[in-house]
Amino acid sequence: MPDDALSRPGGRISPPKLATSGIQPAKNTVLVSHGRPPWYGENGERISDAFVVGIAGGSGSGKTHVAQQIVRSLGSIPSVVILSQDSFYKRHTEEELALAHASAFDFDHPDSIDMPLFAACLSDLKACKQSNIPVYSFVTHQREDQPKYLYGAAIIIAEGIMALQDPGLRDLYDLKLFVQCDSDLMLARRLKRDVEERGRSVTGILEQYLRYVKPAYDNYVLPSQRYADIIVPGSNNTVAIDLICTHIRGKLLERSNFFRRKMAIPHLYTSPSGHSLPESKLEDLNLTILPQTRQLEGIFTILRSKTSSMQDFIFFVDRLATLLMEFALQFLPYSARTVTTPIGTAFTGKTMSAKYICGVSILRSGGTLERGFRRVLNDVPMGSLLVPSNNTDGEPLMLHVMLPVCIRKRHMAEETWVFLLDAQIGTGASAFMSIKILLDHGVKPEHIIFVTFLVARGGGISVLRRAFPDIKIVTAGVDDVVQEGWIDGPQGGGNEQGRQVWTILPGLGQIADRYYL
Amino acid sequence: MATIPPPVPPPQPALNQAQMNPLPPSVFTLPQTAQLEALYTIIRSKETSRGDFLFYSDRIIRLLVEEGLNHLPVVKKVVQTPTGATYEGVGFKGKICGVSILRAGEAMEAGLREVCRSVRIGKILIQRDEETALPKLFYSKFPQDIAERYVLLLDPMLATGGSAMKAVEVLMDHGVPEDRIIFINLIASPEGLRTFCTKYPLLKVITGWIDLGLNEKAYIIPGLGDFGERRYCE
Repeated sequence: MPDDALSRPGGRISPPKLATSGIQPAKNTVLVSHGRPPWYGENGERISDAFVVGIAGGSGSGKTHVAQQIVRSLGSIPSVVILSQDSFYKRHTEEELALAHASAFDFDHPDSIDMPLFAACLSDLKACKQSNIPVYSFVTHQREDQPKYLYGAAIIIAEGIMALQDPGLRDLYDLKLFVQCDSDLMLARRLKRDVEERGRSVTGILEQYLRYVKPAYDNYVLPSQRYADIIVPGSNNTVAIDLICTHIRGKLLERSNFFRRKMAIPHLYTSPSGHSLPESKLEDLNLTILPQTRQLEGIFTILRSKTSSMQDFIFFVDRLATLLMEFALQFLPYSARTVTTPIGTAFTGKTMSAKYICGVSILRSGGTLERGFRRVLNDVPMGSLLVPSNNTDGEPLMLHVMLPVCIRKRHMAEETWVFLLDAQIGTGASAFMSIKILLDHGVKPEHIIFVTFLVARGGGISVLRRAFPDIKIVTAGVDDVVQEGWIDGPQGGGNEQGRQVWTILPGLGQIADRYYL
Repeated sequence: MATIPPPVPPPQPALNQAQMNPLPPSVFTLPQTAQLEALYTIIRSKETSRGDFLFYSDRIIRLLVEEGLNHLPVVKKVVQTPTGATYEGVGFKGKICGVSILRAGEAMEAGLREVCRSVRIGKILIQRDEETALPKLFYSKFPQDIAERYVLLLDPMLATGGSAMKAVEVLMDHGVPEDRIIFINLIASPEGLRTFCTKYPLLKVITGWIDLGLNEKAYIIPGLGDFGERRYCE
């Protein structure tokens, strides 16, 4: 047995980290080590659920340890969350609270867990939606008022003594594990943890163990073992972990779907269904194009010229962004409103009637629209997404999701109007992923207003439009061509360090570089 | 550049035409969208706070200036893009300057500078002469080469049109041709607009809204009260 077998698994003494990953697995936090590749197909539909692992086992058997070892062994995992059953303790009444503080409340009975809520949260996460999971405080023995927002895990590990107990939960697992451990070892670990970390007395712990923990283990936990696909030893389990990880990796690979190349220039490639698309016509794309005035043409000429100074570039980007935002605001709902003027006369006009409005900027280049946005909407929240392309195959990766509260909560998201900002739509891959993220949260497609400087007609826009016919796309201009190219790595000669790039012609160049660097 | 349908002239606001039909050919208004109506509703309401009044009137002013600039000439210009392509676009032609009619006109300068960076701005003060009851020039300060520039004349409210016409007279005295002046205005009264356009038919007027008319104190109704007062003093 390793030296740390008695310490709380994954607690203060953690196993040595793998050199390849600097991840410190924490519970109820989405860990992202290398970004999440697309989880949807080119029709915008989800092609796979998140992979869900359920881990049960007695208190102190090493469930968390197993979960954390899986996370580490997976290496460059896309994104993973360890969901703890502890979060789902029910909200307690005053009497229950008094019992809990006197260590006389049965926390080990299945009824103490809010199973329907646990299943609902897990089901949402599995379906790639956001979830606001409860936060339980062991200090006050009560559920806290502010839930915790989770989104975007490709792998979910649900752990808890009752994780395999509830049939509703069991239906959600793709892989069910039971961590097997001797009772005496479990008690020893529990004693050590509760004395050292929670300051309890040995007598109290033993009393609680005999009264609640042991009977619950014998009556509920151990019998649930028969539902498990794999029984994992609570210690010396590297082989088991290895097998499990190989299985998970295989499953993830089956679910991966790479289509950026096909999306980038759709009419040059055949789609998975076998037929290639005709080049799209402008009128089919249903774009809302800023009126092409002389000033707009002049602004575009300055922005397109490679000799424009950075000072000019920034100024005219800001000016154009302001115009675009004013134009895009036509898609908000308005209703009648009557006011009295200082002269004392009544005037019946309109007022904007959207319940919630926010901006979401696709970093880095969406940031170039933010100043214009603020000149028009100065008091709304602004979220951000970072979905850069993977260097090797150009697939977008979800790296960072920071969304306003009105999108995080599903019931609010349904009434939120979102201005999604990005400098241009070329291959459309990052736009595609960003729209999918908003839809996953429950934002209605007709409430998404995509605002951009430039759309490439021959690019991914046609795939984007077919997948999301109801979103509004507001653009200042349309170019015809997306050209495929290759940037060699520092060593040159088309080695592995190089990457595929797509350029809009005539285009504006790299807008974010010209604006920021 | 893909083939983009040629710009359609903005639909003339129904309400604006209701006050004045047809509009004089030299008068241009903003497209009367629900959003513009909402902006005007905010700045007209006497309940609106000063901060909101500033922010929302600035948004309208910016739109008006953008519309005004579209009446300036452009010339063909070919540039190289960073992607190596050639792009046939246009370049801005002719120098411009702003002239604000004190004090309310100054409120439009910030909006102008957001659209035309570091543009020169002249000032003009016109007040009613108590003896003659006619508008009188009290002060003016212009860029030296104003005669060679296009002039954006700024005054938010056009009531009787007296001070605006006086300002145009002063500009023309300084050598600015009538057809190189663009008058930018937030709210106009039909009678003021008619007098102004009859006197200066070549001068383009960009106005956001044409209101019902004037009351006995020559305030525009429904209007928004005294623009300068609300912007600077209240």
